[in-house]
Amino acid sequence: MNDHQERVKNWKLATEKSMQRFPERKERFETSSKFEVARLYGIEAEDYDIEKLGLPGEYPYTRGIQPTMYRARYWTMRQYAGFGSAEETNKRFRYLLKQGQTGLSVAFDLPTQIGYDSDHSMSKGEVGKVGVAIDSLEDMEALLRDIPLDKVSTSMTINAPASILLAMYIAVAEKQGVSSEKISGTIQNDILKEYIARGTYIFPPKPSMRLITDIFAFCKEHVPKWNTISISGYHIREAGANAVQELAFTIANGKAYVDAALAAGLNIDDFAPRLAFFFNAHNQFFEEVAKFRAARRIWAKLMKEHYKAKNPKSWQLRFHTQTGGSTLTAQQPDNNIVRVTIQALSAVMGGTQSLHTNSRDEALALPTEDSARIALRTQQIIAHESGVADTVDPLAGSYYVEHLTDVMEEEVTRYLEKIESLGGAVSAVEQGYMQREIHHTAYETQKSIEKGDEIIVGMNSFTVENEVQPELLRVDPALGEKQKEKLTRLKSSRDQHRVSARLDALRQGAQGSENLMPLILDCVRDYCTIGEICGILREEFGEFTGI
Amino acid sequence: MNKKIRVLVAKPGLDGHDRGALVISQALRDYGMEVIYTGLRQTPEQIVAAAVQEDVDAIGLSCLSGAHNELFPEVMSLLKQRGAEDIIVIGGGVIPWEDIPFLESAGVRKIFTPGTPTVETAKYIEAAVLERDGYPAPAGMEPPKKIDHIGIAVESLDEVLPFYVNTLGLKLEAVETVETQKVKVAFLKVGQSRLELLEPIDEQSPIRQFINKRGQGVHHVALGVEDISSRIEELKKAGVKMIQEHPVKGAGGASIAFIHPSSTHKVLFELCEKPVEEGGES
Repeated sequence: MNDHQERVKNWKLATEKSMQRFPERKERFETSSKFEVARLYGIEAEDYDIEKLGLPGEYPYTRGIQPTMYRARYWTMRQYAGFGSAEETNKRFRYLLKQGQTGLSVAFDLPTQIGYDSDHSMSKGEVGKVGVAIDSLEDMEALLRDIPLDKVSTSMTINAPASILLAMYIAVAEKQGVSSEKISGTIQNDILKEYIARGTYIFPPKPSMRLITDIFAFCKEHVPKWNTISISGYHIREAGANAVQELAFTIANGKAYVDAALAAGLNIDDFAPRLAFFFNAHNQFFEEVAKFRAARRIWAKLMKEHYKAKNPKSWQLRFHTQTGGSTLTAQQPDNNIVRVTIQALSAVMGGTQSLHTNSRDEALALPTEDSARIALRTQQIIAHESGVADTVDPLAGSYYVEHLTDVMEEEVTRYLEKIESLGGAVSAVEQGYMQREIHHTAYETQKSIEKGDEIIVGMNSFTVENEVQPELLRVDPALGEKQKEKLTRLKSSRDQHRVSARLDALRQGAQGSENLMPLILDCVRDYCTIGEICGILREEFGEFTGI
Repeated sequence: MNKKIRVLVAKPGLDGHDRGALVISQALRDYGMEVIYTGLRQTPEQIVAAAVQEDVDAIGLSCLSGAHNELFPEVMSLLKQRGAEDIIVIGGGVIPWEDIPFLESAGVRKIFTPGTPTVETAKYIEAAVLERDGYPAPAGMEPPKKIDHIGIAVESLDEVLPFYVNTLGLKLEAVETVETQKVKVAFLKVGQSRLELLEPIDEQSPIRQFINKRGQGVHHVALGVEDISSRIEELKKAGVKMIQEHPVKGAGGASIAFIHPSSTHKVLFELCEKPVEEGGES
């Protein structure tokens, strides 16, 4: 038996064994014509390139990070939601869970994301608009009311103040009687892409990287099931990057976090298994599939060969996907359902671990409940009706897809070398390198759309005369005032001495080098607000003011 | 006017999505304007201060967070306080259609929704600035001045004219035959406009076909324009389909061209340029 056959044999044995713990969804998978659908195709072929493709669940993970993929369990259907008050969002969450959603994803309003309380002058007009307004633990308690935190995993799109929101989540779980070891979820916590593309930064890069590595270290000890960062290409793509740029800049940022954690004295295998990624699923179907497959291979090689990680979990690139918001058109919004379907399918063919499908009306406003339901149904139809989840990595071996996967890896490597030559991602961001590259691509795209070289159905071609205006969701305009009143009440009822003492301790911690997470946890337990905590850190760390 | 138009592109509010702001900045620069981009998270106070200090002609506000209803009007009222309401303000971003009338009533000149070609925005700013400064707008951009006439398809002039002349009491100006359109036309003056009654003279006449399909009734609306050729070019550039791509001779010595109803939400419009009358319009 040669090496190839040996590996396949071992893989089969290992897979059978793991299936005793994680059984597949069915005894036998079959097509409508009753043809049996095998777990995996192609691996027995003599020309199967086992070095490059590996086997599912094995290095370099080109074919996926689990041996049986969606035959055992579908991806997590995780719709990003949140608007208005914590109470309203809590209602939407419970609706989504009842509709069969399997994980929560919280959108915060911009003041929360930038560390301002609802009564700050910069918050005017923004409270509760793009997500839920959280000022203190009180709001977080309302947001998570009656949601069992030991059973539901929660993803929070929060970056600069990620420590604070994670601390609040831990504190609410404690009150539910759930210890921090038991909770699971993700914080985005990816500050580099905020400087590059998304804009909700607060502090300069250096203290921001410290906050991030503090979280890595704290979670290793106390919140082992938490994904401590979601290194995000999504927003880089939305800002106008193409597929290669999205992947290259994300991997470059990932390297920067690993380097920072190593420099802070952490051991690679202590934090690398908790790193997660977040990608965009855009329009070009095959290129997107190739991007996801290449992403796994590039990261695995990097972690094993460059960083010498020993734990296979450190080599695995796990990722969440969201369909591309900027591909949606304001014109003929129902067409967006079709776009989302194709994009979602590419994420599934690419082996995503979780997926958010956009709603048809997102180019116009926040999604209505109807639109949000159709978006979730789209995933359910792909999962339960199309049969695409019945065999592992079904596009492997396609000449075209394998070619695209290889080219993607080569081009990403070229970009990584360029960024390395600029001194790494942090330094490249400070020099505006990624920002310029993205803007260049965005402008070229806009020009080719306007020239008609690139067709956007319903926008620059196939237009209709009488657009029907859909129903849009409105956020209660009085919410800002209500949230301010709530905050005033809180400030007059909490123990002000404890608040001051906690904030003083945080200030001292920030001046030194100790891990800030325990101090922040103390602050939120005593109802210090996000604005107060970030205010102290702003004073100690300074603010980033753009490039 | 040789001075370059100066535009401040600004992002009020807290959202960090500046792809649109950056793309429009570059597009306006490529169009020949000077553009200052403020960067993220600008308060209305900062935006107005920058606009006044930089002496700009126009401000483009971009907001994707939903805070436009609070922030855009605040920019407008601060401009007023600073005596700078001659600065033309336009907006864009994720803005629901139903908010547009409110924003425009607050003084925002125009909201451009997603999907607007950048060159359209550039032309709009250019025309608005030229108009404000008392320069003639670029050819074709001047809005039509009046309804020149309304065309009404009729079976027989003899049958309907008594109603118009005797019952309504309108003055019959002229009756003439336009061979190119195979119609006999009667003009009735109403103030600055006219009614144009159209009777087909044979089976090939477009008016015959119209009556066969839809019966007698209003057939077209004619807009009085100047420099009809340039206007046709402008419309074609905007993607509008013309029935006549070049002006043809119509009744009364006018130059005319019809716009295809597929581009006008089903109304048949005629562009109509009258030869200059002696004594001008009253």
